[in-house]
Parts: sequence; C-alpha cells; structure tokens
Amino acid sequence: MSRVSSKMALAVKCSDTFNADACMHCGVCTAVCPMGIEMLPRKLFRYVQIGLEDKVKENISTIYSCLLCGMCAENCPAEVNIADNVRFLRKYINENEFNLS
Amino acid sequence: MATGRKIGVFICHCGGNISDYVDVKAVAAAVANEPGVVVSKNHMFTCSDAAQQEMIDDIEGLELDGLVIASCSPKLHMFTFRDMAERGGINKYQYVHVNLREQCSWAHTNDKVGATEKGIALVRAGIAKASLSVPLTALRVDTIPKVLVIGAGISGLRGALALSDMGLSVFIAEKEKEAGGTVKNWGRMAPDDQHGSAIVKSLLDEVKMRENIMLYTDAEMIEKSGYIGDFKVTLRVGGKEAVQLQVGAMLIATGFDSYEPQEGEFGFGLDGVVTLPQFRDFADHQEGELTYNGKPVKNVVFVYCVGSRQKKSEACPEPNQYCSRYCCNAGTHMAVCLEDRPGDLNQYHLYRDIRTYGHNETIYEEARTRGAVFMRYPDAEAPTVANTADGLVVTVKDKLMGGEEVEIQADLVVLITGMVPKKNPTLMNLLKLPISKDGFLNELHIKLRPVETVIDGVFLAGAAQSPKTMAESVGASLAAVSKAGGLLMKGYVDLEPLIARVDTDKCLWCDECLKACPYGAIEKINFGEKEVAFVVKSLCKGEGACVPICPHDALDIEGYTDQQITAMIDACSKEVVTA
Repeated sequence: MSRVSSKMALAVKCSDTFNADACMHCGVCTAVCPMGIEMLPRKLFRYVQIGLEDKVKENISTIYSCLLCGMCAENCPAEVNIADNVRFLRKYINENEFNLS
Repeated sequence: MATGRKIGVFICHCGGNISDYVDVKAVAAAVANEPGVVVSKNHMFTCSDAAQQEMIDDIEGLELDGLVIASCSPKLHMFTFRDMAERGGINKYQYVHVNLREQCSWAHTNDKVGATEKGIALVRAGIAKASLSVPLTALRVDTIPKVLVIGAGISGLRGALALSDMGLSVFIAEKEKEAGGTVKNWGRMAPDDQHGSAIVKSLLDEVKMRENIMLYTDAEMIEKSGYIGDFKVTLRVGGKEAVQLQVGAMLIATGFDSYEPQEGEFGFGLDGVVTLPQFRDFADHQEGELTYNGKPVKNVVFVYCVGSRQKKSEACPEPNQYCSRYCCNAGTHMAVCLEDRPGDLNQYHLYRDIRTYGHNETIYEEARTRGAVFMRYPDAEAPTVANTADGLVVTVKDKLMGGEEVEIQADLVVLITGMVPKKNPTLMNLLKLPISKDGFLNELHIKLRPVETVIDGVFLAGAAQSPKTMAESVGASLAAVSKAGGLLMKGYVDLEPLIARVDTDKCLWCDECLKACPYGAIEKINFGEKEVAFVVKSLCKGEGACVPICPHDALDIEGYTDQQITAMIDACSKEVVTA
C-alpha cells in the first residue's frame, strides 16, 4: 500500500519531459535492457504517472543504474522516450531527495 | 367431402432450404386430393416474380377462392403473398401461410421421411383453415393530425419541432414546472462542447415561436382512452385545471433518472462525495479554479460505472446489469473540461472498462495526454472511500500494477452515475406499455421496429427506452417523429381485421371477457332486450384472451375461429401415407 503524492503527481503532469501515457505495458523495454534492470520500466513509470513517490524512492538505485543507452526507447513500439523519462526522474530525485539543485 | 371451395396449394423448394429435407413433390401429391383442392404445385422459389405471376394466373384461370403457400416463415413473406393474393383477386385474408422451412425442414434435417410426413400434415392443416376462411375487410380508421409529446427534455422538444415542421399540431406535456429536462442547467457537454443549457434554450425559444405547438408544464396525464389515430387524453395542469386533448399519436420522451447511490456506496453520504449530476450543478457554474465549499480542489477522484454493470449480490439484489452508455464519454469529457481550467489539479479516473466509442475516443485520448490519470480497478474489488484524519481517502487496486493497492487523498470524489428508468407509475399505468427486464420501456423489435411499441400509435423517443447519449436520444426521437408523421400524414390507418367478434345470441354478459382483455377493448352495450359484450375494433389486438374464458362460447377470433382451429387439428392428426 502506498499513497499518492500530490506534489510528485503534479510535477509529472506539468513536465514536458516525462511522458509514459502511450505505454501499453508490452515489456519490450525490459527484454532488451542490457543491464537486466530488475525494476520493470513500465511498472516504474506507472508508479511515476500515478505519483507514488514512496515507490519511486524505493527504486533509486535502479534508476541510477540505467546506462541511458536508449535500447529501450529504440525498440519501444509505442515510441515512449524511456531514457528521457529516466532523466526526468533523476532530476526529480536530485532535487527532492538529495536536495541538489 | 365436398366443400364447394376452390383452393390452390403451392409448395416451395426454397432453392433447397426446404426440398433438401422435405420431399416437396410428395407433399404436393399427397394433398392434391384434399377436399376443396383444385391445384397443387411446386415452385423453386414461390416468392420470385415469375412464380408469383404463375400463381396469379392460376388464381384467375381456376377462379380460386382460397390459397395455401407452404414456404418460409410468415415473418418473411406472409405480406408478400397476401399482396399477391389481392392482385390475383382473392381476399388477402383467405390466404394461409404454412411455415415449411423454419418449422419443418430446418428443424428436421436428420429425418427426411419424418420431415416429409410432418410437411404433409402442416399443409393439410393449412388447407383445412383455408377451407373455412371468409373474406375480411381491413378496419379503416381516420387519424387526428395532432400529436402529444410527453416530456419536454431534449428529445421531446426536438421531436415536437420536427412534428411541427410536418404541419402537425403538437402538444407537449412536461411533468416538471420548468421545461428542458435533465440537461437544462448543464454546461459543456461531450462531444462538441456545446452547453446543455444553450441547446435547451435554443429549442425552447423555437418551440415558443411555433403557432402549432402548445407546451404545458407542471402537467400530468390523468386519463387516456381511444386508439391509434384517435386518442383522448386528459392532462391535469398546475395541479388543478383539466385539459382534454384529442391526438392521433403519442411520443414518449420521458427520459431517465440518474442513479442515486445507496448510503455508503463508494462513500456516498460523506462530505465531498457527489454524483456527476451533483458535481455539474456547482462545477458547471464556476469560473476559474475549481472549488468545493469555497476551498480550491487540488485532487479529484472520479469513479466510473456507479449504478451500471452491477452484479447481483446481497447488497444489490436487483442489479442494473446494463451499461449506461453516456457515462464514459461524460467522464472523459469532464476531465478535458477540468484541464482547461486554471489551478493545479490532479485528477484520477477509476474505471472498469472505458467505452468511449466513435468520435468520443479522441476525447479519452486528449484527457490522458493532458495528464488525467486513468486507473483500471478489478470488477470484484471496487475502490473504497473513507473519511480519515487526512480527509477523504480513496483506496484502489490498479490492474496495470498487477493489483497493487494505492491510496489517493481527495478533496472531492465524483461518482459517475448511470441512468435508471424514470419512475412514473401513473403514466405507465395509463399507457399500459410493457417494461423490459431492466425497467426501461420496450420497443416492438430491437432492430427493425426500434421506436414502435405494442400500443399502435405510441412511439418511444429517447432515453425512456434505454440509456442513450443526447445525440442518440434525438436520433430516436426523430425516428419516432417519422413513424408518427407517416401515420398521421396519410389521414387514415388500416388495421388488421383478425380480431374478436361476439355472438350476440350466445352472450349473456358476465364480464369475464372484460376482465381478461389486457387492451380494454371490451365494452358492455344494450342489444335488444339484453346486455352483451361489444368489441371496440380499433383497440382489439386479436390476442384471444377472451375466447377460452367465455363460459358461453360466445367469442371467436376472425381468421382463427374455434371451427378453423378444430379443423386444423383434425387435419394434422390424419394418418399420413407416403409411397
């Protein structure tokens, strides 16, 4: 059980960078990830989209282990720019968790 | 047995549909010597123009006075052959249709001998009926070129204008004190953003300008009598004044009620939990940032399918199993409307399935891309709404996350409620219209006669029939207008003469038939020295409830007399001998 953070939800909604609306949860991104990242991108993005900040923070190490190689985005049939979404998340975490700005 | 009749019998192959299983030539031969039969033939397709012409030649050449065609279902071609009989010069009610396809060949594809024997029996019964047939004349009733529209919502008003365009006089009876129906105070509506209030106003302005439309508000029907083409209706207007109207047809545009959730259903009853119509009542009239009770709304949760697509359970013994059609469109469109407003608003839409068919799909897409979050909840595990120290909290399982539970703190929870049948017991009792399992009014045929009812001259216009969007309601209303117009512009209507008749010698007036008749077609009259039953021809449907109940055997149905039915049974039970 986790609770929606209005702040994060609003930041996601207002962001021009983050966009996972088109994701159809096919899982191609996971299949092609060279890092074999444990966290499914589609699941992570669902957490972000809904604004589940707790869940996002539980997965900080995953978010920072991404190589930003772009294999996922290259292969995404719904043309979700996954690497950009990861960049948005890192920025959000830097500002709100590590107080970097 | 000499009958003095000249009956022609024609057996159809139906291109194999019948003849593959029924030996149609054997049938024609077996009945050729039945009493009264002067010709017995086969045709590949009796409905073809060539076959019809040959049959007409036989009718004329052999001076037939009875006709039996054994072919498909009477639903398909009874009227075709009745017309043909008339063209040949026989009274069309002396034509008997035998269903040799649906009721014989198609039903007995594994038993050709049995199917042929049954076919012979069925045709014999048809011949027995034709032997006792008498010429009947359709009942012609003059129609009054006026229409009563019940309900002054979108459907009623639009329908009234269309009837007025045809030159018919229109009365509109609205139960509420104000005309305009459900949407009269609504703002932007799907799919084209026109305001409900503006649409209603334009219709009402137009209605008021028409000289041949009379609008009664605060009006209730208290009496109804008469029949297609000539109804007599009494309205109580303003609680007292009785207005008598005479109309040829009626449009039922009584609309729907919004589903009222039970106390506690998705938190209904808690402060901040409202239905979509309640939400529109305040939200549609606000400018700028959305507020509720004077406070800005930051998080709003919409719950879909409230009161629709219900499953039977202890809490819900009489579920609304249908989809209400308009709600997904209204909910997603409301999401776009909220995104158009200033302020930092998060909106969560909790749904079971999104059904934004047709053009409305683009509205759903716009809602998602502009940031409304859609979460699909499992059918069996609906979201819950609780009042906590943090205010309203909605708990929902998101199917896209494999059913993980999420809590959403909400300033406002909007229940997107479906449509339920309008409660109108007085009117329903007067109109005697059949109600479907879900409580809406029943059409005569869901596909082919979608706005007609079992009461001739009474048509369904809009959401009184089933949940409909505004566009669909207006479409249905205009369909009802075309049916009413088609009826009244002709000036008369021909009714089937297959109705009850009273043998005044036998009748001793006991009122059993009056009690049995569901159409109110029986009246008591004085006949010579005594009182007898009288059948109001234009009301009688020939249903026959009065016939078996009569203790004196004084009633019969034309075309289906006891004598005919008995003869048919006798003919059916004759032994069939085939070569």
